[in-house]
Amino acid sequence: MIDFDNISKIYPNGTHALYDVNIHIEKGEFVFIVGSSGAGKSTFLKLIMHEETPTSGEITINGKKISKLKRRDIPYLRRHMGIVFQDFRLIEKMNVFDNVAFAMRAVGESSATIKKRVPYVLDLVGLKNKMKDKPSELSGGEQQRVSLARALVNNPEIIVADEPTGNVDPEMSHEIIELLNEINAKGTTVLVVTHEHDLVREFHQRVITIDHGRVIADTKDKRVSENPFAVDDFTDDPHYPDNAVVLPD
Amino acid sequence: MKGFGYLAKEGLRNVWNNRIMSIASVCVLVSCLVLTGAAALFSINVAQVVESVGDSNETTVYLKSDVSRLEAVYIGKDIEKLDNVVSTEFLSKEDALEQYKDELGDELFAQIEDRNTLPDAYVVVMEDLSLYDDTVAKIKSIDGVDSINDHRELAKKLTEISNLINIICVGVVSALMIISIFIIANTIRATMYSRRFEISIMKSVGATDSFVRMPFLIEGVVIGIVSAAVSTGAISLLYESVMSAITSMIPFSYIPLSNVVLYVSAAFAAAGIIVGFFGSFISIRKYLKKEGNEILGW
Ligand SMILES: Nc1ncnc2c1ncn2[C@@H]1O[C@H](COP(=O)(O)OP(=O)(O)OP(=O)(O)O)[C@@H](O)[C@H]1O
Ligand SMILES: [Mg+2]
Repeated sequence: MIDFDNISKIYPNGTHALYDVNIHIEKGEFVFIVGSSGAGKSTFLKLIMHEETPTSGEITINGKKISKLKRRDIPYLRRHMGIVFQDFRLIEKMNVFDNVAFAMRAVGESSATIKKRVPYVLDLVGLKNKMKDKPSELSGGEQQRVSLARALVNNPEIIVADEPTGNVDPEMSHEIIELLNEINAKGTTVLVVTHEHDLVREFHQRVITIDHGRVIADTKDKRVSENPFAVDDFTDDPHYPDNAVVLPD
Repeated sequence: MKGFGYLAKEGLRNVWNNRIMSIASVCVLVSCLVLTGAAALFSINVAQVVESVGDSNETTVYLKSDVSRLEAVYIGKDIEKLDNVVSTEFLSKEDALEQYKDELGDELFAQIEDRNTLPDAYVVVMEDLSLYDDTVAKIKSIDGVDSINDHRELAKKLTEISNLINIICVGVVSALMIISIFIIANTIRATMYSRRFEISIMKSVGATDSFVRMPFLIEGVVIGIVSAAVSTGAISLLYESVMSAITSMIPFSYIPLSNVVLYVSAAFAAAGIIVGFFGSFISIRKYLKKEGNEILGW
């Protein structure tokens, strides 16, 4: 579903954000992306969303080569994706219903479809009774669930979430990932960037570790899940997981 | 386009939310349109006057100052004998001065009366204006004829003045048009800036460029249409009062507004829509190229 083939990204200011990244993500997978600040995690997601384009290499999404994409095709690529932001990005003056409906209006859905679909999705994230509330009247966790509902409402095949739990308290974080897990169980591919060890540990899933722009581990191995930020410690270990991608410095 | 009703509503909301800038844009565009309209109305009126002057088959033939009354009568007969001449009417220099009496006032008139240097003249009516030049040449060849007041000269002068005014107007109007486009572009840019957050979300969920663009284009076009309507109203009010003021000084029959108001308003609407459209189009282009946080300026 998502293929990174020798991807490098150098920003116009010269920052080398990613080096030779090779990643293959199957449809229906759940992937955590971890790494220290400035490692290149957000860059990785932005390349998938086509907010940025790679400096070299080829990205293939749903069998389509991104380098062959025309400008006018990009919106249609994005309709396959639901994006969740760390800062929720909800429109303050709109209530919960309208915030979610906004994503449907933006792709030209009819009001009849919107009226049916939005309450259904809000029910999925457990906010059906808060439809008329403004974002400012909600807790961080609830706001993130609205954002998640908005990402889901157009029925995407991939959910891309950049630190969705960064601005919510730990208990709520757990709930958010739990929701993403449920969504994933229904067949949606889910990519989550996170800094929270506890979550990675708790939901035993594939973990991609990025460090200084390189993928230094990509595995479902328990030792990585359990200590995702100490991956450097394993790389010297002879028992380092076989399926982990290890790139020399 | 799917969801057009929603986009149109958004466009109108933009105009309203950004009303100070919208009003400023309308004012600039109105002044531009009214000026253009005034120039156009002026030149069609001149054209009409030129045509009526040019077509008038009355020509004044001035006689030399040393021609006696008797000689003048013979000259009149000679003119009348020409094929193309229908009638002649003698206009003595006293009659000619009399025409100015009102303007001069009695006192001045009395002073000038004795020193009347105006020539005697004949007002000649021709039958076929296509033979005008030929007939004029024949009249000129008659002894004692000094000069001919060629209405064509007057027509030519008026046309020249009108052309000059047109050229000046084209310059002023194109400058104003550019300013209008610029002001509208700025207005739309301000709206886009205030809505950049929504724009970034729309783009992230896969809204097409034309979809993102539409409310802002509608905003620009609405500003254009409102300006066109205000301009039509303003020029209608101005035209009648300016024309009645002018005709009270120089009597001529001007083109009634009702004859042209439809064309004027249609031209205004077209110009307003085009300016509004391009004004918004150029400011949106810049925004649409941006992605994600760039839109938000983060
Ligand atoms: N638009 C940009 N222009 C220039 N450099 C950038 C840009 N975006 C990111 N970078 C740089 O690229 C590198 C990777 O950034 P990225 O945002 O991908 O890191 P990250 O892993 O998401 O970090 P964090 O955990 O802090 O969010 C950093 O050095 C960052 O400063
Ligand atoms: Mg980041």
